[in-house]
Amino acid sequence: MSLLTDELKAWIGREAVYPAQEEIGRASIRYFALALGDDNPLYRDDDYARQAGFPALVAPPTMIVESCQYAVGPPDDHGYIGHAWDLPVEGCRMIRAGNSYEFFRAVLPSDRISVVWTLEDITERASSRGGTQLFVTSVARYRDDSGELLAINRETLVYQPLATGR
Amino acid sequence: MTTSRVDTAIAQPGQSLATGHKTFSIVDLVLYGAATWDWHRLHYDSEFTDRMQLPGPVVDGQIYGALFARQVVDAFGPTAFVRKLEFRMRAMVFAGETVQIDGVVHEVRHDPDADIVVLDQTLTRNGRPVADARTEIRVPR
Repeated sequence: MSLLTDELKAWIGREAVYPAQEEIGRASIRYFALALGDDNPLYRDDDYARQAGFPALVAPPTMIVESCQYAVGPPDDHGYIGHAWDLPVEGCRMIRAGNSYEFFRAVLPSDRISVVWTLEDITERASSRGGTQLFVTSVARYRDDSGELLAINRETLVYQPLATGR
Repeated sequence: MTTSRVDTAIAQPGQSLATGHKTFSIVDLVLYGAATWDWHRLHYDSEFTDRMQLPGPVVDGQIYGALFARQVVDAFGPTAFVRKLEFRMRAMVFAGETVQIDGVVHEVRHDPDADIVVLDQTLTRNGRPVADARTEIRVPR
């Protein structure tokens, strides 16, 4: 039986919009760098960042696309609060296949960032484990309050059927 | 050749960046999950990962992007701007495991006002591939 049902195909093209909640903020930037063990002063020292050509300290390059700070509402039963499509896929586990990022300028603490996710495509392909699996590709576009595009994140997730009998 | 800081004016294809290592303790996974507002139990709850038929809490694959970006900023300095970063997952990594980060200059272009460097980067665990990336940076002159 195909995993890629007509019901699932109807999700292709859907959008999810997350308006800016607040400024990214210095604390979030410092926290992200701390969590990575990255002591680069670019992420905590305005003077150092200005000498490097930035107007103020900046966020680590990929923070904008890794953070779920744009999320609204409470976390789900698993503790997840970021974007998810809640696709009608049963008996599968979801894993990341890869991401493709484009960045257009450094993110500043004062940036208020809105995110729009679009479900670009769903395909079904053979799995090395036998059977098939679903590849779901989505793209997120991150903009500041003026509408300037800061980053694009194209993400591919794989839905693998769980083995039965365990 | 491996160097700790790379000068884009003289960088050459084949030049290696300094190798890095990262071990992911449960504490590291909780820190990263908290800092990214991603509190999914997949990254710290071993009872849940057992039900998902996984050998333990899973390192969030998004962190690999941060590790790849950090390697190039460390190598090329604070003015290096990551323009593109594309990575593909080869294998999952679990709590307690260590990955090695390597990077090699693939291409160097000299625009009028900046140097553009394209790099091939890899994450491995015990010599086996975990993820690989193609990264492009812009370094203004």
